[in-house]
Amino acid sequence: MVTATWTRRHILSLADFTPAEYNAVLQTTASFGEVLSRRTKKVPTLQARVVANLFFESSTRTRSSFELAAKRLSADILNFSPGTSSLTKGETILDTAKTFWAMGADLMVIRHREAGVPQIIAQEMDHLGAQVGVLNAGDGRHEHPSQALLDLFTLCSLLDPETPQLELLKGKKIVIVGDLLHSRVARSNLWSLRASGAEIHLAAPRTLLPPQFAEYGAKLHWQLEPALAGADFVMTLRLQQERMSQHLLPSLREYHQYFGITRDRLKLCQPEVKVLHPGPVNRGVEISSDLMDDPRLSLIPQQVTNGVAVRMALLYLMGSGKTG
Amino acid sequence: MPSWELLRQVRVLDPMSQSDFTADVLIGEGIIQAVDKEITALPEQVHIRDCHGFILGPGLVDLYSHSGEPGFETRETLLSLTKAAAAGGFTRLVVLPNTMPPLDHPGGVKFLRSQLAQQPHPPLKLLAWGALTVGVQGEQMAELQDLAAAQVAGFSDGQPLQDLALLRRILEYAQPLQKPIALWPYHLALAGRGVIREGSASLRFGLPGTPAIAETTALVALLEVVAAVGTPVHIMHVSTQRSVELIAAAKARGLPITASTCWMHLLLNDQAVGSYDPSLHLAPPLGDHHDQLALVEAVRTGVIDAIAVDHTPHTYEDKTVAFAEAPPGAIGLELVLPLLWQTFVETNKWRALDLWTALSMRPAECLGQQPAKVAPGQPAELALFDPRLTWTVEPQTLHTLSSNTPWLGKQLTGQILQTWCP
Repeated sequence: MVTATWTRRHILSLADFTPAEYNAVLQTTASFGEVLSRRTKKVPTLQARVVANLFFESSTRTRSSFELAAKRLSADILNFSPGTSSLTKGETILDTAKTFWAMGADLMVIRHREAGVPQIIAQEMDHLGAQVGVLNAGDGRHEHPSQALLDLFTLCSLLDPETPQLELLKGKKIVIVGDLLHSRVARSNLWSLRASGAEIHLAAPRTLLPPQFAEYGAKLHWQLEPALAGADFVMTLRLQQERMSQHLLPSLREYHQYFGITRDRLKLCQPEVKVLHPGPVNRGVEISSDLMDDPRLSLIPQQVTNGVAVRMALLYLMGSGKTG
Repeated sequence: MPSWELLRQVRVLDPMSQSDFTADVLIGEGIIQAVDKEITALPEQVHIRDCHGFILGPGLVDLYSHSGEPGFETRETLLSLTKAAAAGGFTRLVVLPNTMPPLDHPGGVKFLRSQLAQQPHPPLKLLAWGALTVGVQGEQMAELQDLAAAQVAGFSDGQPLQDLALLRRILEYAQPLQKPIALWPYHLALAGRGVIREGSASLRFGLPGTPAIAETTALVALLEVVAAVGTPVHIMHVSTQRSVELIAAAKARGLPITASTCWMHLLLNDQAVGSYDPSLHLAPPLGDHHDQLALVEAVRTGVIDAIAVDHTPHTYEDKTVAFAEAPPGAIGLELVLPLLWQTFVETNKWRALDLWTALSMRPAECLGQQPAKVAPGQPAELALFDPRLTWTVEPQTLHTLSSNTPWLGKQLTGQILQTWCP
């Protein structure tokens, strides 16, 4: 496994990830994928290390995925959820983080409903001289690096299961469809796909896709069909129900009518096209229900499986930089 | 201690005469006794101070800042506010009415005055904006004549007024009172949940954005009402390039308006928000690079009359939350002059007089007050500034009770040495 080059203490954003770092994650993930296919799916890599899951925003999927990843690496796990916390009693987010640091947490996996919280906690840990690594597990609409990295691994390992590499996506047409404005997943995806040299197309109603997205080097479409033409991969995003009350959409029905991914629309793409979704899916809104369950078209189950391996790789890379 | 002081060879900035010169200044009995190249005829008891390299100007005037007292004394008391303002070079300050209870009735203003009267020698003149609306709720006109009789400095809610019909009637009703009226044009529905200017930065940082049109559409509506009613208005919190254009055009048309921007909007833009420092959560939010440049130029040319501090103290607990969840605002009274001086005067973007004019003479004029002059026979309302003294921004070095500022822990160059207030 490649750790010699890994120097990053925190993973807060993919904005400044280097190709070497992407490839280190991809290769390490492939190794852990192999571990997960064994009968004994556990390695002692992070034995006696403490991973704290600080999920200020509730989450089932991502938190379970990180928890399982940490368990497979033999780490001790501390779970924090806001329902049982003192946040309502005047404790600040920094107080919470400092408490877990004082308990001996080596790695903190942080999710918050607002952007910037993992970064602020990481800064505070550095300021205190704490040797704690912070991993952003989703902050507001800012970034969700581990999701984008598992998407990247899912795509690259499909193209070359033995040696998944960033460069495999060069020139591939990848379409991201949906609520880009509010999507932290898309923001992280944009950085990784841009680094890969893929041809990035974004499609959504104008209200959910402001023109400034072009600054990421993507081509914008306010109609779906031209975006899908000749696409190799279609990444769909979750659409929240509350978008209607913000005057962004007239109805979910109309959204599905014009931007939903269906079998028919996929005929515009390459014959081997595959569809991804970060979950949880609103069946019949972002994707037609039957398509989601079609293994010839949907990579959604692989995304979930790969999620554990990618998170093992990230915890391993971040946790291996120092001695316990 | 002798009551007379001689400031030897101090650099004098006098916005009223637009002059910048070096001289000896003799101060005694609360009066500027003499200003001359070299003063030789001195009274017996005089403290002589070598002021080479120091700046002497009229005391600074802050158009609008927030007092914690009454209601939020853990953020700021009137005592700490006056100390902080004096330490920053201010000799006049007008507090906004959104205290608890709000200053929407004469009793509130009298309470403020009685609290201030407990200080034997207040270091500055602290006045209050009386609320325009009951409870600063923007729904019903406050008793403006009563407030005027209680000698408020002027009328303002310190918050955006959304109801144009109410705005119109307020401007009509208050016209004969001849008090300054300060309004913040900001369309709250367009602003939405935004915490940063909408644009590339909001997209990249994943923070909900407020479009520039939240300010400009409200400004256009306000200017139309002012044009129709004719009551003079001070426009607060100008933060966009387009607003600068609209204000310049309105002034050219002869509308009776003055305008101010807040100091941090001159120093920073939305790119700074990438640090997610909750002290950079301001209302209105920081503009983009173009807005910043336009505001800096507008202050220099006078399209924007004055720089306001909008000192907004918040406790550590209030501000140690996610950026978007933090209450907007930052402290500033003790930081404004050193930071603006270093950024704009030392770099020759503005003349020293430009800065001093925008921080003292023009805010006084916006308040309809006589600005202070540095001239013999005038009351000594002065601030002495050492532009080279370095200090570190820390809770111990600040006089305000709060420390919500992005400059916390940073070293600044420039500090007020003394103020005089008649």
